[in-house]
Amino acid sequence: MKNRLKVLRAERDWSQQDLAERLEVSRQSVNAIETGKYDPSLPLAFRIADLFGLPIEAIFLRER
Amino acid sequence: MATNPAQRRYVGRMIPISIAYIAAVMLASWIIPDDAAATPLTVAVALVPALATSGFIWAMARYLAELTDEYVRMLEIRKILVATGLTLALASGWGILELFTDVPKVPLFFVFPVWCLGLAAGSLVNRLTIGDAGPCA
Repeated sequence: MKNRLKVLRAERDWSQQDLAERLEVSRQSVNAIETGKYDPSLPLAFRIADLFGLPIEAIFLRER
Repeated sequence: MATNPAQRRYVGRMIPISIAYIAAVMLASWIIPDDAAATPLTVAVALVPALATSGFIWAMARYLAELTDEYVRMLEIRKILVATGLTLALASGWGILELFTDVPKVPLFFVFPVWCLGLAAGSLVNRLTIGDAGPCA
């Protein structure tokens, strides 16, 4: 699944490690989600959305 | 190496269990003569290392249960699936060979070590398919 995580992270000048610490996951996880190798569970997707103050669908994009 | 609390606890459990396993195997091979009859005493002594093996499995189960990082947990579960599939395939294949041919009998003792080697194969599969091996080999 495509997502805007890298852009949102860059806007805040956060490294992958910064984001990982805020989400309480590993940097590996952030990298895997950003690169589309791993789709997060709904609870983690909500945590990501809450962190950025955006709805989930503004971060994760439906594949067309 | 151990980068999250679940991994640190896992390593903390595996070290004493490994020491207990080695000690129990040495003790059993010292106490029980080769090809000893299966008496209550020899069976009891021989089963002590098996308790440690069950300890390894318990430590792995606790590790999976305590892992809070869902991506890392997925990598570990994929490794376990690869290890289990390989072990079942090898054990079944060799078992059928033993039934129908005179290939050497392989002791069941080797099932667990083969499964552990399968975890390393699982790491390789993760590396090749996802790009991440997963934390523990």
